[in-house]
Amino acid sequence: MDFLLDYISVNTFWTILLIVHGLLAVALLGALTHQAMAVLMPVRGAAGSDHFMARFRAVSGPRYANAVCLLWVICFILGAWLYTKYRIYVRIPIEQEGFWKTLGVFELKEHLTTFGLACLPIYWLLWKNAGKREYDSARKWLTAWLAAICWFAFLVGHIVNNVRGYGS
Amino acid sequence: MSEASPRLRTFALVFGIAFALLYLICDMGRLPLFTYHPGTDRIDFGWVPARRDEGPAMYWYGWIAASLIGATALGVLAALLPDRVAGKIPLSLCWIVPVLLTPVIIYSLGFYWRW
Repeated sequence: MDFLLDYISVNTFWTILLIVHGLLAVALLGALTHQAMAVLMPVRGAAGSDHFMARFRAVSGPRYANAVCLLWVICFILGAWLYTKYRIYVRIPIEQEGFWKTLGVFELKEHLTTFGLACLPIYWLLWKNAGKREYDSARKWLTAWLAAICWFAFLVGHIVNNVRGYGS
Repeated sequence: MSEASPRLRTFALVFGIAFALLYLICDMGRLPLFTYHPGTDRIDFGWVPARRDEGPAMYWYGWIAASLIGATALGVLAALLPDRVAGKIPLSLCWIVPVLLTPVIIYSLGFYWRW
């Protein structure tokens, strides 16, 4: 990666990485929200299928499984990479400001996204066997759980970024 | 779409459950596989406190590594169980265990919930 730093500053490099992490998180959030809505509130029949919410819920869940797994892993790796800089350049100043709960929810985000990462093998398997009725309940609630983690992580990431700001 | 083999299903299920449990144990028991010091890029085996004048110590990577190894081993062992035994592990545990462990994780972060 050092050759990149001949063209851009170190600050710009980490800022780009953070933005890419955020953009991929948006894609993951969209995919998981679609999928979770599709399993929690499935569209039955053709009634109301022209409405926005009906279309939102009418996606084919299995089609999202690979993308969700891939995006989760990439977001996680980028987040883990960024975490080294966060620990020194972001967390320490926030500690000095005394924003302990902000730091706490960020730590919780790291723990929950790690739980989510470990759930991906069974999540993928449940969706790859979407025709098996005995998997329906586990698939539904695991997807909802992953969507909840994703929303939490996304919002907390934004909050922490708002506290410290880009390029810091 | 191809059917999942029972062994793969058992591995994936036990891996997810075991990882969450081991991660919590590693976190609360100060049991990272290694400690990373981002200020100096130093890596120490096991739990090591932050070194004076070298910045903070990070344990998160070490918890993940330890949990990954343990959960993989347990997942493989579970996959070797006879199907009639492995098939009795409730599939719902894949989401119930991490959901139940979340309040414990929140409790473990008590240091941060100061008002």
